[in-house]
Amino acid sequence: MKDPYEVLGVARTASAEDLQKAYRKLAKKLHPDLNPGDAEAEEKFKEIAGAYDVVGDAEKRKRFDNGEIDAAGAERPRQSYYRDYASSEENHPYRNNSGFADFMDSEDGFAELLRRSARAQANRRGHDIEYRLPIEFIESIAGTNKRLTLPDGGTLDVTIPPGIVEGQVLRLRGKGAPGSGEGGSGDALIEVEIKADPSFKRQGDDIYLELPITLTEAVLGARIRVPTPTGAVTMAVPKCSNTGTVLRLRGKGAPRHAGGYGDQLVKLKVMLPKEPDPELETFVSGWESGKTYNPREEVAT
Amino acid sequence: MKLNKQEFLSLAALGHETLTAWIEEEWLIPRGSVDEMSFSEIDVARVRLIRDLKIGLGVNDEGIGVILNLLDQLHGMRRKLIDLREVVRTAPSG
Repeated sequence: MKDPYEVLGVARTASAEDLQKAYRKLAKKLHPDLNPGDAEAEEKFKEIAGAYDVVGDAEKRKRFDNGEIDAAGAERPRQSYYRDYASSEENHPYRNNSGFADFMDSEDGFAELLRRSARAQANRRGHDIEYRLPIEFIESIAGTNKRLTLPDGGTLDVTIPPGIVEGQVLRLRGKGAPGSGEGGSGDALIEVEIKADPSFKRQGDDIYLELPITLTEAVLGARIRVPTPTGAVTMAVPKCSNTGTVLRLRGKGAPRHAGGYGDQLVKLKVMLPKEPDPELETFVSGWESGKTYNPREEVAT
Repeated sequence: MKLNKQEFLSLAALGHETLTAWIEEEWLIPRGSVDEMSFSEIDVARVRLIRDLKIGLGVNDEGIGVILNLLDQLHGMRRKLIDLREVVRTAPSG
């Protein structure tokens, strides 16, 4: 932070009146609202206003001169200025067109341009409005209908197509902010957010599911019920299926862009009984080949 | 953002009497009816500007009215320039 006296261009011995005079002289030139088109005016004005905040106040000036405070505390927070709103396209009661009204009345090409822009303004299309819509994973695969409650209390019905992906934006034409004149309404843009699912994961058009099976089902094979996002189906688990075996349910994945469906891939996970089982223990201890099989053969130890 | 009278006064750090006086001068123009005035961010920023002019720059009340009027004409023209830029940009050339 620069020395406030230097910023204001006065001597350290300057009187309070001189300080105020110096500040006002600079502020008249640099106030952002007196320079609506100067993007840098704000930075320049902040500096002199911050400097005057320190030395323009008798008490603060004394403490600054004694080295009790430094000028850094005088950083002004970002504030909005009148100019940030006054030229916006939104209507406000301070709009004043008398600065160019006479131009509009003439018959030349420039007046025609002005009139055309006035017509364009009178028929401006409404803004697009953005929403975020969280849905369940299963809904993202199967599709669903949702009703959004809008800030103004209205509602918006949204049809979520099957197979939608995270971040996809649905555009509802004409459901945004109303326009003026014949401008028509803007659109509602709905960004879909898919909640994580504890069981299903999606990769491309395929869906992954880890499925626990019993030891009996793994050894002997079985027909079991498997959940899919569109409902449970029956799947054959072949004899001697191991943990990590992946079975493919064709066409049970997400809808493909080009038509058809991806697959659901079911990864099996063999689960022993939760409680110790004496019968199983007796069987396994008498099971000869179980003692010679080494599944860790290929694992470096 | 729509503000009612109470919200506006507290956000702009303005007293009732000052508000009445400034409306009288047409420095501020509330929307809605007399009983149910409504304001927005532009009014808060305008209050800040008036205060900067009055206290910061030492402009007297007559001067403030003149400055606000000229400034609003300037912003009217800036808006028109922005709209014109759009018309020129989208117009078929030639």
